[in-house]
Amino acid sequence: MNAITPNAAAIPAPVGLLAELTHRCPLRCPYCSNPLDLDRRSRELDTATWQRVLTEAAALGVLHVHLSGGEPTARNDIVEITETCAKLGLYSNLITSGVGGALGKLQALYDVGLDHVQLSVQGVDAANAEKIGGLKNAQPQKMEFAAKVTELGLPLTLNSVIHRGNIHEVEGFIDLAVKLGAKRLEVAHTQYYGWAYVNRAALMPDKAQVDQSIRIVEAARERLKGQLVIDLVVPDYYAKYPKACAGGWGRKLINVTPQGKVLPCHAAETISHLEFWHVTEHSLGDIWANSPAFTAYRGTDWMQEPCRSCDRREKDWGGCRCQALALAGDAAATDPACSLSPLHAKVRALAVEEAAETPPDYTYRTIGANIPAPNKEDALS
Amino acid sequence: MNAVFPTPQSETSERLLSPEELEAALRDIGARRYHNLHPFHRLLHDGKLSKDQVRAWALNRYYYQAMIPVKDAAVLARMTDASLRRVWRQRIVDHDGDAPGDGGIERWLKLAEGVGFRRDYVESTDGILSATKFSVEAYVHFVSERSLLEAIASSLTEMFSPNIISERVSGMLKNYDFITKETLAYFEKRMTQAPRDADFALDYVKRHATTPALQRQAMAALTFKCNVLWTQLDALYFAYVAPGMIPPDAWTPGTGLVAETQTQAPGTGRLSAADVPRLPRGVRMRFDQTRDKHVLLAPERTFDLDDNAVAVLNLIDGQTSVAAIADRLGQTYAADPRVIEVDVLAMLNDLAAKRVLER
Repeated sequence: MNAITPNAAAIPAPVGLLAELTHRCPLRCPYCSNPLDLDRRSRELDTATWQRVLTEAAALGVLHVHLSGGEPTARNDIVEITETCAKLGLYSNLITSGVGGALGKLQALYDVGLDHVQLSVQGVDAANAEKIGGLKNAQPQKMEFAAKVTELGLPLTLNSVIHRGNIHEVEGFIDLAVKLGAKRLEVAHTQYYGWAYVNRAALMPDKAQVDQSIRIVEAARERLKGQLVIDLVVPDYYAKYPKACAGGWGRKLINVTPQGKVLPCHAAETISHLEFWHVTEHSLGDIWANSPAFTAYRGTDWMQEPCRSCDRREKDWGGCRCQALALAGDAAATDPACSLSPLHAKVRALAVEEAAETPPDYTYRTIGANIPAPNKEDALS
Repeated sequence: MNAVFPTPQSETSERLLSPEELEAALRDIGARRYHNLHPFHRLLHDGKLSKDQVRAWALNRYYYQAMIPVKDAAVLARMTDASLRRVWRQRIVDHDGDAPGDGGIERWLKLAEGVGFRRDYVESTDGILSATKFSVEAYVHFVSERSLLEAIASSLTEMFSPNIISERVSGMLKNYDFITKETLAYFEKRMTQAPRDADFALDYVKRHATTPALQRQAMAALTFKCNVLWTQLDALYFAYVAPGMIPPDAWTPGTGLVAETQTQAPGTGRLSAADVPRLPRGVRMRFDQTRDKHVLLAPERTFDLDDNAVAVLNLIDGQTSVAAIADRLGQTYAADPRVIEVDVLAMLNDLAAKRVLER
């Protein structure tokens, strides 16, 4: 690598690359983690550039590549990109909706060495699932896709994003995962960034529903030990401590957008004052070590109180910077999802209040939608 | 196996022991010979047995449970004192219950059902090891033929059972996902019954073993009973752990079980020594040059591997059994393969529970 810099030795090497190959997607989920301002096809990186990025990632120490989007199989070169991962020894994880062209490309992906498939399921009941995903006839396609994954002998993970529109189906997601032969199930409560932040009032479940869903998962983990691994992500707003966003800013994860911007996490662009570097202008190693966006919140020097003197500061790394900006109006503040934040009570009250109201309609994810970024107006401070 | 068994100490003292000394001598027999010291029990409690090995234990132990009231009735038949019989008959009630669906044998059947057996298969005693039957029947004959003092003294293994039971219950609940608290209801009852029974029997022996010869008989009777229990575990170990020689007509895995309602995904579940482990598609080991160590890459996670884990995973080729892997490691490291095997199984079962290893 050409990115040997004076401070590089002190910076841990990234283990995961989230390759957002495209923002195009047949689904329109109202909690999509993509930015509100979606990249168009004409601005996407070409095949050769992605292959160079993957080569640089492998040399930098990346082990896992998450081929994501949007819908990654919407790209014509998804097989070539996956093959490059295999040749470099990178573990390839296809994060897919399973609709559109996904099924048609699965055999070829298997043949070039794809390691793992993570399939999103929006609901268990087809009508409900298709309402959430905003695409008719999506559910049968997903079921057919899942069957093919396990028939090939590829490990399958189901990913279910949980919110008030499907929280009653948690038990059903577990049964579905067993029925489809999945080895893992992610029961991931919605994280309220990006499109989910816009749709928060339509998505926020109440505390009793959240608690019930956790009990169901814990019982199933016991019952299905050795057969199905269930990962549970609880909703921030009801948590005591925040999550270490992406394992800590600039510590584990490197994220490349469809047009080649390199981010510490997929939502980082909501922090508009950050300067992101681009893979067409810098090597990945240089960006990881030196780009202003990565150095801004890496480590603990940037922290304010109560994070600065907190025992947990190297556990959760202050939580999520994007959420701090959205809710506290300052990206360097303690994540208000943390019970030690002075704003935490307000966040909790907001969640309770929204969950108690009749949910508004979804604002579906659309490329070119004109939606005002909500990160300043309703900050709590 | 190279387990070192304690050498029996000389119990041939000609001197008459005080009641306290007699009790200490009897407890010493348990400390050296009770079956909690048997390697099979260690494996059972530490979660090192496969589900089928736990089944073999539950099935064979049923024969012992079912014969206990027969044994106690034989003891009872020799008691000429009504007050003694009134106490002793409680043991039969405890085991048989006052009505169908009650009692210790019933609770043991529940345990057997809890690990997957059909009740009628267990009750038929068809799959019981002949060594189990010989041991248990020797116990019934012993109490019928020897003196009443010896018959009562032979029951004194109950002095040692509360410890083993609490160890067993907590160990099994912790280590086996197929064992529930309800399954182990038998032992809950025994926690209170056994000390009560033992107190009475110990008191009887202390009062009636009034000469050095009688005291030696009582000690020999308790030693005999320890051997009855020990031998049953020897037989289980020989047939179902190592070398795994199951005698003709004895239970084999898959027999006598209720069809499992929730079909287990193929390749999942706990491994035993005979299983052939493999890393499924999507799980692979590689050397991480950046961090200068081996890692196991798996869906959405990375396992850091130490040298021992690397040595084991290097031998997993989808064709070599756990036992054979342990044999090869034993050669490489000049260590007892059966000792290594226990560690290898623990590691592989941990990976299997995380769904990154199959068989």
